[in-house]
Amino acid sequence: MESIIFYILAGANTTLRIFFVTLIFAIPLGILFAIGKIAGGKIIKRILDIYTWLLRGTPLMLQIFFVFYGIPQLFGIKLDRDFAAYIAFIINYAAYFTEIFRAGILSIEKGQFEASKALGMSYPQTMWRIIIPQAIKRVLPPVGNEFITLIKDTSLVMVIAIPDIMRNTKEIVSREASPETFIIAAVIYLILTYGIVFLFSKTEKRLSYYD
Amino acid sequence: MKVVNLKNIEKSFGKLKALNGVDLIINKGEIVSIIGPSGSGKSTLLRCINHLEIIEQGSIDIFEMPIAKAKEGEKTKYIYEKDLRKIIQRIGMVFQGFNLFPHKSVLENIMEAQLTVKKTPPLEAKVIALELLHKVGLDDKEKAYPSQLSGGQKQRVAIARALAMQPEIMLFDEPTSALDPELVGEVLQVIKKLAEEHMTMIVVTHEMAFAREISNRVIFMDEGKIIKDGTPEDIFVNPTHPRIKTFIERMI
Repeated sequence: MESIIFYILAGANTTLRIFFVTLIFAIPLGILFAIGKIAGGKIIKRILDIYTWLLRGTPLMLQIFFVFYGIPQLFGIKLDRDFAAYIAFIINYAAYFTEIFRAGILSIEKGQFEASKALGMSYPQTMWRIIIPQAIKRVLPPVGNEFITLIKDTSLVMVIAIPDIMRNTKEIVSREASPETFIIAAVIYLILTYGIVFLFSKTEKRLSYYD
Repeated sequence: MKVVNLKNIEKSFGKLKALNGVDLIINKGEIVSIIGPSGSGKSTLLRCINHLEIIEQGSIDIFEMPIAKAKEGEKTKYIYEKDLRKIIQRIGMVFQGFNLFPHKSVLENIMEAQLTVKKTPPLEAKVIALELLHKVGLDDKEKAYPSQLSGGQKQRVAIARALAMQPEIMLFDEPTSALDPELVGEVLQVIKKLAEEHMTMIVVTHEMAFAREISNRVIFMDEGKIIKDGTPEDIFVNPTHPRIKTFIERMI
């Protein structure tokens, strides 16, 4: 029993690694792309529209397959499994974050832009110091959703044989015919997602000092 | 010095002509009130001065420097964004809806542009902010957030925030229209103080008594045009124009 738990926890390590690497890159990219969609030129907007449409419009599993099996064949390069997973997750999640942050930025009153401009602030200064901080507070609930979805989505990496929680669980179940292993996996996912829920409610409280 | 010089400016919102050939010169030290019915173009005119609205025709000089140049048979052309920003930061603006930064404390609101635009050292910026808070009578509110203030206090912070940039002219866009009646006085008091210091000011307002008291010049607008530009007496005591007459009678 103990060895089963440790084996699944080893998978949890992989799950968390993909989770954090994805967020570290996908969130800044999402903010940048959101600004691009709002303030960019026609061509940039068009490219970003196509990007979010493609990435949100096709299954993440397909994208993982494409990065891991498709790209090496098309370009004759070899991709590390983990690296392929990171790339697929980052570009997929950045697309969702782009739309979330775009909505957040657009929800900020026009008066905030006008006041900043009247004070002589540049557009980048206005964005980073005035608009984005307020937008982040507003998008916390949908961002929290994305974090939870991401924890669960990481289980998709088992399709390219990365040993995450899900893959290790399935391996044990088929080897030792012990269906209770599924429950152990479920509990680990629940602990992880509870951690996220807890963290977000804390953050929301901390940011409630205004409005 | 001609602080503002607008020549024949035109501005439309869709089919609506908000400004229809307005000429206006404001000299240093003048205190000008703009009055007139809603939708007459008062706020739009004010907002054209610091580039919150973009004009289609005519030209704008600020501090005797062109920021928008008229072109024969073409739309008005503005100067480069960077140069424009340098001029705009010398104009202070106070909005009807305050537009304070809600995520920043009162002190941070007043320090923000000093730090980012003027690159004032933080300590110096703080000293200036505290002095201005004293000036608008809010010494004890430095740590408060805008949501904890009354409308009148918010507007006074907004005035302090604009003053922190040491503007050479202040634009007030209906500064008391969003306030409960009992809070109007404290804001007008602060504006009056600025008037006594001979700050150049343009005030769009519905407070007729106030306009009459502080201004040395009153402009009456209607349907995107300046109908009368004169002394407070011309407008409030002996209005000759029938439009102005009915408006004044209704307002007082």
